[in-house]
Amino acid sequence: MLAAGKAIFFDGVTSAKRLVLIELAPDVLVIRDEEHRDVLAHWRYDRLDQIAAPSGLLRLGEIGAVIPARLEVRDPALASAIDEASVPVDRSGAREQRSRLKVIGWSVVAVVVLVLAAVFGVPALADKIAPLVPLRAERWLGEAVDGQVRKMLDTGSANRPFECGGGAGEGPGRAALGKLVGKLEKAAALSVPLDTKVVRRSEANAVALPGGHIYVFEGLLVKSESADEVAGIIAHEIGHVAHRDGMRSLLQSAGLSFMFGMLLGDFVGGTAVVIGARAVLRSSYTREVESAADRYAVDLMNRAGGDQRALAVVLNRIAGAIHPGMEILRDHPDTQARVKLINDLATASAPQPLLEPSEWAALKRICTGR
Amino acid sequence: MTAVTSFDAAPTDPPPVPPANGVVFNGAESPFWRLLARGAALLLVTLGIYRFWLQTDVRRFLWNNTEIAGDYLEYIGTARELLLGFLVAIVFLGPLYAIFGLASLAAQWLQQLAGLFSLVALAVLGQFAVYRARRYRLSRTVYRGIRFHQTGSAWRYAICAMFWWGMIGMTLGLAYPWAQASLERFKMRNTFYGDLRGEFIGSGTRLFFRGVLLWFVVVAPFVLGLIVAGAMFDGTLVGEAAKQGTRSGTNALDAAGTGPAAAAAILGTIWLVVAVAVLYPTFQAMVLRWWISGLRFGELTATSHLRTGTVYRLYWRFAWMSLVLALVVGVVGFFAAKVVFGADTSAGGQRMPFEVVEISLAIGFYVITALAYSTIYQATVKLPFWRHGFESAELKNVEVLDRVRAAPATGSPVGEGFADALHVGGI
Repeated sequence: MLAAGKAIFFDGVTSAKRLVLIELAPDVLVIRDEEHRDVLAHWRYDRLDQIAAPSGLLRLGEIGAVIPARLEVRDPALASAIDEASVPVDRSGAREQRSRLKVIGWSVVAVVVLVLAAVFGVPALADKIAPLVPLRAERWLGEAVDGQVRKMLDTGSANRPFECGGGAGEGPGRAALGKLVGKLEKAAALSVPLDTKVVRRSEANAVALPGGHIYVFEGLLVKSESADEVAGIIAHEIGHVAHRDGMRSLLQSAGLSFMFGMLLGDFVGGTAVVIGARAVLRSSYTREVESAADRYAVDLMNRAGGDQRALAVVLNRIAGAIHPGMEILRDHPDTQARVKLINDLATASAPQPLLEPSEWAALKRICTGR
Repeated sequence: MTAVTSFDAAPTDPPPVPPANGVVFNGAESPFWRLLARGAALLLVTLGIYRFWLQTDVRRFLWNNTEIAGDYLEYIGTARELLLGFLVAIVFLGPLYAIFGLASLAAQWLQQLAGLFSLVALAVLGQFAVYRARRYRLSRTVYRGIRFHQTGSAWRYAICAMFWWGMIGMTLGLAYPWAQASLERFKMRNTFYGDLRGEFIGSGTRLFFRGVLLWFVVVAPFVLGLIVAGAMFDGTLVGEAAKQGTRSGTNALDAAGTGPAAAAAILGTIWLVVAVAVLYPTFQAMVLRWWISGLRFGELTATSHLRTGTVYRLYWRFAWMSLVLALVVGVVGFFAAKVVFGADTSAGGQRMPFEVVEISLAIGFYVITALAYSTIYQATVKLPFWRHGFESAELKNVEVLDRVRAAPATGSPVGEGFADALHVGGI
């Protein structure tokens, strides 16, 4: 084993390059100036820090030193001698590899935890937090969201107001709507006042926003054949309001966006993961939410004295017109599953229609006025 | 102490020092490709968490293979520092994003304002992060045992940068030379190698005169096209016709010269895009040459001999490699889609897990393509730029580097963390 050799030393105080002689003493490396042979430094073997360097060069520093003094060894024999004498120095790179594998392992674990947190943790957290949000705050949020949603939905067709029931001949329709919703509201006994409107959109759909806003689309009225069917849909939306689904969905969305958006950082392609994750996860959350709203609707229709199966009937009719497609991305679970659930839950009853025939006829005309 | 007779019979002496006025880059391409490819695979598996380690590896490769006057640069930053900086940045940015989100839900007028305000705020924060990240990288660079460091206020830099970028926008790009000169001066005057202060003497005016022809060729036809389009298109005719109805509307549009006007505008835009694509390497080479030649450290001067042809060659290589990647992705994607979507005949309850597979496949495909593209870019553009930028520099008065003393300073990795969290990248 070599006991000495030549190297280059930078003392970290000035940039002068010193040619030095290295001596391998039992516990330390002795660094001597080549010319004057005076000792410049003693470096202990167990405190040697191997620093990344181009191949063929062994670059050494001291662990924990503030001043970056450097020893550069190009002599291969001397380098192997130091490698053998010092534990921290490992030119084979095995140590580095092991620690890197640990990093990778922990990163994969972190990813798994992240995904689990997204799938289970975020909805659970949203469920816990949503009821804690004060009603006034939710109403304030509802107003803001309402404004945005109106802008999104209002197609501004042909100079007619977005909301039905205000124009000539539309008054009876509005009164009928008020009576229908009133019956449901009384049976529901919510702490949030409802604000239900029929709006000019051709889709057969209805939406509920945080704060008690419910929009029924004109297309739904067109496709419905009885007041109880419309009531069933509205009861479903009231279910969303009662469960504060709007708030929960907002919290989940924010949580997911934060988690995937921020934590992935400057990751190439990260945005795609964020969007994809949100789409897939959000839709699976909403399945459960929609089922819960269906259950609520059946119960509410029972309490209001209406036909519990009407919702299933109208869903079936509407679904017949929808093309099958990317099922998981549609926010409502498979229609057949919903129909079955509703019919299973419905109890035997002798319902009275919730509106008189004349009122129903008026409601059908709430947007057209004639 | 034992006798020192063995010293005089040392087997090898240190290798001869290469020419003192040169910078040599010793890193070969294939180890770099391997590094990047392995890094990309790990990025995929760890959803990006591995990026701190990859970035550290890349920097170590670039720094450690750069030889200036016989000695190598050294990068002493660690991935742990980057991770920590990122986490700290999140602590600040998380609430900030939350506030922006809430603000955007508020009243209508506040929404518009909030959108604009957040854009400006993020731009300023981005420049702040860029300056801090530079500070971190400098403070983790060691040469001959002496650290670099950077002083100066990042907020001041951010404001300056915003001002100059505003000017560049307003002058359609003409202010760029002076903007760069001013910002580089700010950065270099605050850059130190030990106690040796940096300086930037590049002249904005000189760069302007070198580049104004380029600007003219790119921008002038585009502006001309817009002006011609505006002149040919008579707006009032269309306004009147709109009141009368659709029939006379189309006639009025013809009479108003919409066809030729649109053609002029489109031609102008096409020219802009093509000219930028073709001339961008020339522009980049010009600016890089000017920048390197303007750097000073005390008496140490640099002159760049970077050839424009070199830049074109490296972009050409990048272009055809990207094309090959696109072709491969297209073909593989086509067949994969046929297999996956073709097998999708199940209905009802079976659908959900299958669709998760479909979506994951689509996302995975996109991410892999993005990673491959990024890998190609780093290996064919970034590495050659680093190599050629350094090797084309001719240094004078290199002896200045022998007499530098260390100065005490550190840079926190939080700046780097901000840059990562704000998606403002760098080398």
